[in-house]
Order: sequence, then C-alpha cells, then structure tokens
Amino acid sequence: MMQLDLKKNYFELFDLEVDFQLDQKLLHAAQQRLQSSYHPDRFINANDLEKRLSVQNAAHVNEAYETLKNPVKRARYMLQVGGLDTLNDHETTTDTPFLMEQIELREEMDECRSCKDPMRACSHITGKLDQRSKEFSNQFELLYQQGKLEDARQVSKKMQFVERILEQIDDIQIELEDGLF
Amino acid sequence: MALLQISEPGLTTAPHQRNYAAGIDLGTTNSLVATNRSGQIETLPDEQGRHLLPSIVHYAENDILVGYPAEQLQSSDPMNTLSSVKRIMGRGVEDIKGLANVLPYEFDGNSESHVPRIVTRQKNVSAIEVSAEILKTLSDRAEQTLGEQLAGVVITVPAYFDDAQRQATRDAARLADLNVYRLLSEPTAAAVAYGLDQKQDGIVAIYDLGGGTFDISILHLNKGVFEVLATGGNSSLGGDDMDNDIGEWFIQQADIKNVDAILSRQILIAARKAKESLTSVESTDVTVKHGDIDFTTILTREKLNELIHDLVDKTLMSCRRVLRDAKLDRSEISNIVMVGGSTRVPLVQKQVGEFFGKTPLTNLDPDKVVAIGAALQADLLAGNKADQDMLLLDVLPLSLCIETMGGLSEKIISRNTPIPVARAQEFTTFKDGQTAMAIHVVQGERELVSDCRSLAHFELRGIPPMTAGAARIKVTYQVDADGLMSVMAEETSSGVKTDIVIKPSYGLTDSEIETMLRDSMDHAKDDIQARMLAEQQVEARRVIEAIDSALAVDGQQLLSVDELVNITDARNELEGLIESGSEDLIKKAIKNVETVSEAYVAKRMNASVSKVLSGKNIDQVDV
Repeated sequence: MMQLDLKKNYFELFDLEVDFQLDQKLLHAAQQRLQSSYHPDRFINANDLEKRLSVQNAAHVNEAYETLKNPVKRARYMLQVGGLDTLNDHETTTDTPFLMEQIELREEMDECRSCKDPMRACSHITGKLDQRSKEFSNQFELLYQQGKLEDARQVSKKMQFVERILEQIDDIQIELEDGLF
Repeated sequence: MALLQISEPGLTTAPHQRNYAAGIDLGTTNSLVATNRSGQIETLPDEQGRHLLPSIVHYAENDILVGYPAEQLQSSDPMNTLSSVKRIMGRGVEDIKGLANVLPYEFDGNSESHVPRIVTRQKNVSAIEVSAEILKTLSDRAEQTLGEQLAGVVITVPAYFDDAQRQATRDAARLADLNVYRLLSEPTAAAVAYGLDQKQDGIVAIYDLGGGTFDISILHLNKGVFEVLATGGNSSLGGDDMDNDIGEWFIQQADIKNVDAILSRQILIAARKAKESLTSVESTDVTVKHGDIDFTTILTREKLNELIHDLVDKTLMSCRRVLRDAKLDRSEISNIVMVGGSTRVPLVQKQVGEFFGKTPLTNLDPDKVVAIGAALQADLLAGNKADQDMLLLDVLPLSLCIETMGGLSEKIISRNTPIPVARAQEFTTFKDGQTAMAIHVVQGERELVSDCRSLAHFELRGIPPMTAGAARIKVTYQVDADGLMSVMAEETSSGVKTDIVIKPSYGLTDSEIETMLRDSMDHAKDDIQARMLAEQQVEARRVIEAIDSALAVDGQQLLSVDELVNITDARNELEGLIESGSEDLIKKAIKNVETVSEAYVAKRMNASVSKVLSGKNIDQVDV
C-alpha cells in the first residue's frame, strides 16, 4: 500500500548518516526533493487512491523532517533507531542536582514578570538554558557514539526539560511584548 | 492523470489537451477571478471593464443579484442585501452575536442547523450559499471570457482560517458546482505572484490586511519553491473594523440616538468613502442624510489615525509572534509585500515600515495580487506547465488539539507544522466491554478547550469488546494540503477499523448540502441521474484505458500471475457493465478495479519514484 518505504528510518529516507550532528541544509534540501515528488499538488488529476497515497507520503516526509530538524526530537528518535522503546518513557529524571537546577530556573522564571527589567531577566535565563542545551547535546552525541544508549536516554530527558522551559519563557516574552505595546 | 498512468511523479500524462483553470480570490469586500489568457495571467473584467466584483448579494422576491447591481441596493434595502458574509463563514450562531454591529442582519432563530441562516425576503440563506452565488458569478465570467469550461479552480482563503472556515469555503464551491483543485492561503498566493514577478529569492513577509481578515506569513522563496515558515493573524480583523470605528465616532459627533439598519448601512458606507479619500488627502467631509438626520462633519487623517491606531497595533502584535515562531529577526526579512485593499491606508504603511525597518513594497496591485497567484497555481495544477518546478509548501495555521480531563486542551499537531501532516495517538478503554468512545477535536492555542474553536465531536463505535485497558485504539489525525482535517481510527490488537461518526461543530451536514444542491439545480431529477450515469461511464472507460496501458508497460514485470488475473477479471467485469445503464453498478465495479490494483499502483509509484531519485544526488540540490 505504501510506495514510500516506511521501513526506512528517517535518516535513510533523507539519505543521511545516523548522526546527531546533522547538516540542516542537506536535510532541508532532501525534504524539498521528496516533497517535489510526493506533494499532493503533483497528483491533482490522479484518482482517489493515488491522491490518498500522496497525502500519506507527503505527511510521512514532513513528519520525518520535523523529527530530525528539532534536536530533542532527533535525539529521542535516534534512541528508537538504536532499539530502545522511548514511547512509554515517563518524563522523569533521578538526577537530583539537575532537578534542583530546574526548580531554581523555574522559580527565576516565575519571578521574571515582577522584575524591574523582565525582558532582560528572560534573556538571562534563556542564555543559561541555551548553554545547558549545548552541553547536553554534546553529552548525548558522545554517549550515543559509545553505544551507551541508556545513559543517552537520561540525557535526552534533560534535553526535553530544557526545551519545555524555553518554550514557557517564550510564552512569557510574548505576553510581555504584547503588554509593552 | 488516469489510474495507474504514472510515468514519473509530477508529470501529467495528458499533455496535448489544454485544461482551463482559474484562480478565485473570494474576499470579504471584493472578489476577483484571474486566468491564463494566451500565456498571460490576468484578472478578468466584467462587460463594463470592472475587475473587482463587490462581494454583495441581493435577494429579491424571485431574483438574485450579485456584485455592483446588489451594491446599489445596499443602503435602500440592507436586510436583503448581504455583504461581508465571509466573516460568518464556518461560524456558529454564538460567534456571530459579537459581529452584530458589522453585520446588521436578522438571523433565523428557529433553525436546527449549526449554521446561522440570514432571513431574506426570498429565503433564509447561509453564508455558504451567499458565497456560492459569488463563486458562480466569477466562474461564469471566466468561462464566458475563455469560451471554455473550467476544468478546475484554486480558491484562496485567509491563511488564518481554521478548519471549519475552510470547510465552509469548500462547501460553497461544491454548491457552485466547481471542481476545486486546492484551497490556497491568500498570503501564499500573493507570494507566488510576487516571486514570479520579481524573480528574487529570499525571505519575504506578506502583510495581508483585507476587508475582514488579517494574515501575516513569512515565506522562504528559493528557485520556485515557496515554503511558508510561519503564519499568523486574525480572521476577524480588517477594513470593515476601521469603517466601524469611524462610524461610531460619527454617531458620537452627530449625537444620534437611534440607529436603524438603513442608517447604520449609510453611516458605514460614508465611513468607508471617507477612509478611502484619506489615502490621498489630509481631510474630508463625512455626510449622512437619512430621515430627519442630515449631518456633515470633517474627518482628518490625524483623527482617522487615532481611531484605527489600536487595530494597526493588533496586526503588529501578530507580526512579532510570527517572527518568533519562524525563529527570525526582523532584519532577516528581505522584503515586505503589502496585500489587501486596507494596506492603502497611510498609517498601515507607515507602521509596518517602522516595524520591519524597511519600506514595504506596494508596486503590486494589492487588490489583484492574490487572484493572480491563485491563477498561477491553478494553471500549474491543471497540468499546463508540467515542466515547471514550482512547489508550494504551506503550514497548519492553528494547533490541532483534543479535549482531555477537566476541559483542558492537549496539542496533537502544533501550529506552523508543514502540511500535509498526520499524527497518531493511542487510546484504550476504561470499562470492560466498552465498544464506543468520544473524542472532541478543537483548534487554537489556548489552554482551555472553551477558549479554542470546537471543530468536531468524533464518536468511535464498533470497538471489539475486551477487558478494560486491553483495547488499543490508534486514532490518526490527518491534515491535507488544503488545511482540512480528517480522522481515522483502528483497534490495533484486532485490526478492526472502528466506525467514526462525525458531528461537525459548525459545518453543514452532508444532507443539508444535498438539499441545497437539489434546490439550486434547475435540472429535473432525471437529468441529474443521466448526467451522473454519463460521468461514471466516462470514468469507467478512463479506468479501463489506464489499466490497459499500464499493464502493457510493466504488468508482466511487476505482477504475479494471480495478481494479473485478478486485475484483468475486475477490468473485464467493469467493461461489461458500462452499457448496463446502472450508475451504481459501474461505480462499484470501478471501486473494485481500484481495490484489486492498489498494490500494483503502489509498486508502480515506487518504481517511478526510485527512478527519479536515483538520478539525483543529494548534494546536487541547493538549499
């Protein structure tokens, strides 16, 4: 039924090595190349079955692209490629110092709004988080290369935490900007 | 392209026949149609040389007037002369209460339907039917100009239209008997027209302020690929609201106490005229005469700017959000393209220019650019430019969510995800023997379901009875290239497909559409049946021809003997039924051919795609 080979992993789909370091330009080019073959616009005059297949294929390509583009999703996906079941992973970590740091960051974030210069406070936290996210990415890459997938899984959870807080700060910043306007 | 006739993906297989296609900009205030006339894409004028068609429909006792003739009756007969109905497309009865000052119509309170109906002298009509009249007028104009039937159309919608609003637009096209190739986002259409006109690659922002909707889209243009990076806006904000602000100011100035429908319409018309004059002069008179009211005052551009300042600010808020979503800095935008009549307002141009730190481009006609972009894509989709590599990649404008415990929304697909997209979710039963479950799908960014837009309630039935927690129900949400959602469900441990009963929150039900179709068709029932039979016969011959030519090419290589026999049997059965006179039997036989050749189609697609891909190397493709 699927003419796009769904058994291929996302890296193979885009002709890329399974590697956390990935050339976004190559990824982007490969996505557009596949879309120019599979996008529903190419099947406007086809029959219903072909139309349906093209929607499914184009959706599959987009899903693969979105997964590899985002570092956290990419890391989680690489664990699956490596044979781990991450779908039923609970988002918890037992790393106490990391948890403490997260709690502190969250408190700092909540206080942002009442700061004298909230925007600056926000970018201060963002800076710290960006730094952490780089460190975790490097750790993940190294552990994955060494085949220490369980350890890599723990790091990927931390990456998820950091991303979540960054998203929340984003929301605060939007609110603040709207208020200033 | 016929069944199985895939030579290479992306190429249509009937190059000799020219398909006539049109792009339609179905606007709040004005609508346009554009098409390829001897190699040139242009908007089409009416017999008096006017390109714009006012989106106004008048319902007389036995007659329907569309456009300028309807506009003339607007102030004398406002209740039967409907304008700006785009604002209620896909909206529920509750939503439109907030629009009472912009749309002073009487709504049918007794209707059972979820779709609000406006009471007119002739009949009660929904926004969908009114829009269908506008679409019909425009497609007639195109067919008369071309002297040919339209094979298909591309209709534009605001990028920020949600699923219900898009579905309503599709329904309107169905009522107008149009074959819709694609619903295209207005800013994306504008970007296509701009991109092909300027032949410049880079990152552009399309600022589209129309009569009733505002969109901001950021696109990456690269060698014919138009990739939407992020989109945002407000589907209930536009020039109408400026007129309304001016109108309220006027009512205050003139100290008017009671405003009836006719007076209200006249004030809004005067307000709009004043707003338009103020694009070129610094001050203008506003005069309204109705009954014992005869009042004139002066509106300066400065006062106008003050009245609409908040509205312009709101659009800039959306601009900031969309930049954030695209993860871009203002300085990375190489050009800003202004679209929509309301961008003629000087304050809009000034504020947008200040925001982006660049003078926005106004050299493309802001009224026509959307229709032209739509026609370009329509022409391409019709298969008239098979060699061209244009590709439009759009995104989902608003997140798709489902309702979870406590009325909270849980995101399934986030906004600005490229479409088409599909995402699956697994549920289980919580009671022994449970055979049904309900899912409420909403669209929006807010945490509470009540703050989002309800799209539909899905009821999954036919789940095989099992102990609680044993069933694995995989629900797949899919958004197609039109931005329209569909839902599929399957019990994965048994492989049973569950039935889905959809109750759309705002759309028309299929039976409502059928009733409208029957009402609107002049043909007798027999004519319709004859036509449907003829259509199926044509389709059957097409399918047989496609099968025959496909089998001749690679039937032997790709199919086992059994598969070949199955397909040939189904084909022969279909051939035998063509002259049977039964539309139903032919339809079933076509379906059967398609089913038995499913695997074959897939193999052929695979073979042709891998052929294409093997020819190119990844690093030969520039970003």
